[in-house]
Amino acid sequence: MATPSRRSPFRRRSLFKAAGLGAAGAAGLPVIAACSDIESGGGGTQVTEGLDFLPTYKEWPLPVQPDLIGEPPHHPSGFTVHPEAVQAITEVPENSGTYELTVPNWGEGPSGDDPYFQAVSKAWGGTKINLRYADGNEFAETSVQWLQAKEFGDAIHMFSWMLLAHTDFQNTVPNTFYDLTDILKGDISERWPLLAGLPTSSWGNSVWATDPEDPETSRIFGIPGPASGGPGNGMFVRTDLLADAGLDKPTTIEELLEVAREWTDGSAGKWAFAGLDYYTPMWFGLPSRDNWWFDEEQDKLLHRSEMPEYKEWLEFRRTLWDEGLVHPDAPTGTLDTQALHKEGTILFQQDGMSWWGGYTDQVNSGEAEGDIEPLGPLAAEGRTPLVHVNFGVDGWTFLRKDLEKEQVEEFLDVANFCAAPLGTTEYELLIYGVEGEHFEYGDDGTPVYTETGTAVVNAPVNFKTIARVQNFLAGGADRVQRVFDYNASVLEYAEVDIFEGLRVEGPAAFKDARATLEDQENDVSYGRAELSEIDSMVEDFLAAGGEEAREHYTAAYRTAQGE
Amino acid sequence: MAALHTTAPPASGQASRTIPIRRKRSVRQRLRHDWPLLLLTLPALLQLAVFFYWPSSWNIIAFMDYDPNRAFWENPFVGFAWFERLFLSPYFVPALLNTLKYAFAQLMFVFPLSIALALLMHSVVSTKIRSIFQSVVYLPYFFSWVLVVTVFVQMLGSDGLFSNLLLGVGGDRLTFTSDPETFTLLAWMQWSWKDAGWGMIIFLAALASINPSLYEAAAVDGASRWRRLWHITLPGIRPVIILLLILQIGGILSVGFEQYQLQRDAIGYQTTEVLDTFVYYRSVIGTAGASFGTAAGLFKGVIGLILVLVANNVAHRLGEQGIYQKS
Repeated sequence: MATPSRRSPFRRRSLFKAAGLGAAGAAGLPVIAACSDIESGGGGTQVTEGLDFLPTYKEWPLPVQPDLIGEPPHHPSGFTVHPEAVQAITEVPENSGTYELTVPNWGEGPSGDDPYFQAVSKAWGGTKINLRYADGNEFAETSVQWLQAKEFGDAIHMFSWMLLAHTDFQNTVPNTFYDLTDILKGDISERWPLLAGLPTSSWGNSVWATDPEDPETSRIFGIPGPASGGPGNGMFVRTDLLADAGLDKPTTIEELLEVAREWTDGSAGKWAFAGLDYYTPMWFGLPSRDNWWFDEEQDKLLHRSEMPEYKEWLEFRRTLWDEGLVHPDAPTGTLDTQALHKEGTILFQQDGMSWWGGYTDQVNSGEAEGDIEPLGPLAAEGRTPLVHVNFGVDGWTFLRKDLEKEQVEEFLDVANFCAAPLGTTEYELLIYGVEGEHFEYGDDGTPVYTETGTAVVNAPVNFKTIARVQNFLAGGADRVQRVFDYNASVLEYAEVDIFEGLRVEGPAAFKDARATLEDQENDVSYGRAELSEIDSMVEDFLAAGGEEAREHYTAAYRTAQGE
Repeated sequence: MAALHTTAPPASGQASRTIPIRRKRSVRQRLRHDWPLLLLTLPALLQLAVFFYWPSSWNIIAFMDYDPNRAFWENPFVGFAWFERLFLSPYFVPALLNTLKYAFAQLMFVFPLSIALALLMHSVVSTKIRSIFQSVVYLPYFFSWVLVVTVFVQMLGSDGLFSNLLLGVGGDRLTFTSDPETFTLLAWMQWSWKDAGWGMIIFLAALASINPSLYEAAAVDGASRWRRLWHITLPGIRPVIILLLILQIGGILSVGFEQYQLQRDAIGYQTTEVLDTFVYYRSVIGTAGASFGTAAGLFKGVIGLILVLVANNVAHRLGEQGIYQKS
């Protein structure tokens, strides 16, 4: 046999090595391959009603009654006249701990040195809560890393929609956060009367099972934030610009399209829209609860992407784009759309409901002009409109697992203070700050923020989102009446919660596929992919996690229906 | 066993001369002799151990159903389940194809540009012009991708300098920075601006090592400029070209992350999804989990290693040195 040359790709020794490695690999493969399947990230379903370990509900009597009586939670009551504030907590606790609370923030976070923070600290008994602000736009995704590394200070505030970013939140909660059950179970009205006055459904929404397979292991892990109910978002129109152009507020999709065409003039720097992604699906009857809807005819749970209206929605967005009715830089996601709305560059602004009040405040302080209001419920082709509303609580405050019991109780003292409703001095201080420093009373007795108050106290998230006994509409007679009327007008179209009594967390693969589908929706809507690709997009989505999730959500739906 | 001779036997009929033979030293002797050198390498070894080998050992979670809430040893082995999930994902192949497309575009259109720039600069006689040219071309390498993308948007975006100039003369806005059809061209311009200068510097160093007397001799023999380039310059820098080519082939599945991530919203998902963004959006800020991302990273690493070895082997067969000398 000839000796292999040094230039040969496989010399004898190398060949033996390769053969040995191959044999070892071949022997090892079955051993490794025989291991278990992936079980993490399978999602979870938590029953939130009929639990016997929650705080006993004890109504906290309101010091003043609202003059506009709605139907909470989706149609909150309101005060057209700002009420005289009454002190809610007569026995202020004496505490001295210092804690760090991580909260999402949009915009620049105020300095912790402001007198507002000293005032609230003194008012709730001496506890110092340092707010650690993090960018609200990235908060959901980055919170995944913080929670895994247990680096979020002593507590973290998370909105319920942020849970979608987590692979397995069901599993994260008992491993990361303090189990509050032993402290909160039963009658807590003596020490925390306001927390005892929170709706039982809010506490039920704050429960997670330590073993997802065993409902008996359910415990309270979060302090429930306010349950604001009603529409969380709106499509706001500059009514002054509409009137100037001699146009009427649209009441159907067809009318909306006409108004957009009439108003847009790209060469003059005027476009009808900027953002259209998260608000407009409801115009086509597409569902919100993780985008699932039960089709009675097919007796099957459908994802919105499987509904015929899904294509209509994308075609509608594509039409707006192709006709140049959308700001050309909208796809970049970097536009300050609120600023564009104020400037009159865009006519319609998709935003949270707080934009209504925010815009009015800016008009009152001379920073903006004109007026805005949300469009009413819209639908195409004479269909019945659908309005997405907030279900359950807005979010939770979670405490570190390794805090001492006394520290948790001290934090609950603070939460009890923060739960005070409109009509209390506690609420007044939390929401408006110190009189003369952060706000002044207007001629009608309604507090009006000073410049400092707008910068410091009026941040989207701070102590006001920790808890609330009841939400009321406030902020001046005109504003309250308009919001009250709007809520009343959309109430009959409010979406039904098909998973009522449950908090459903979808499988990780579904969340992942859903995020990609949303990217693809934007591609189609902005002319970067063809409408003909929608079918393959949906097919990929179902293959990548949609089908797996259907089983999961169908089981949850059956449970919710008592089947 | 023959005793080890420390001296050669004297040659007969010749004057006796001692030829020293180096005795094979034991490990202890070598340690005693080389300890200052070993001590000097210790920090580098520690650095590698802490920041490379230890993290690399965590690649094992690609074979586990890893959950950071569990103790490490409580995470079950799942074999190749994550790889199976990776390869079966309908979003994986498009990302892989995009990656290969951009990698080949870089290889075909940026790599030669660096060589061309180096040759151009090498031919510039004026030191002053050369140093200015070198700075202008080389400087963007130190810019972050954020800055590079921002500069392009400010220049070529729909509200950028050129769009406004066009609007001023009655034209339309440019859609160059948001058009998926022309993204490869845009990306090429960005790579060229940012990276071509770096490659140029390396090739310039290689060019400087060519003996000038070769050019002089060739000129005396009547070789034209092109002949000198073809027969002296290019062969002179060929080992460096091959070395960089092999390294670039090895990193073919790592086309970078920031450039695509930063332009994802403007250009769209379908065009900018490469393997690195695929992992980022699913595993880092997505819900697929650390094991999935690690499996994808391992896949990239293994493919890269295979490509480097194959390319190196091919280089050796062609008589080139490659990235290391054959023993």
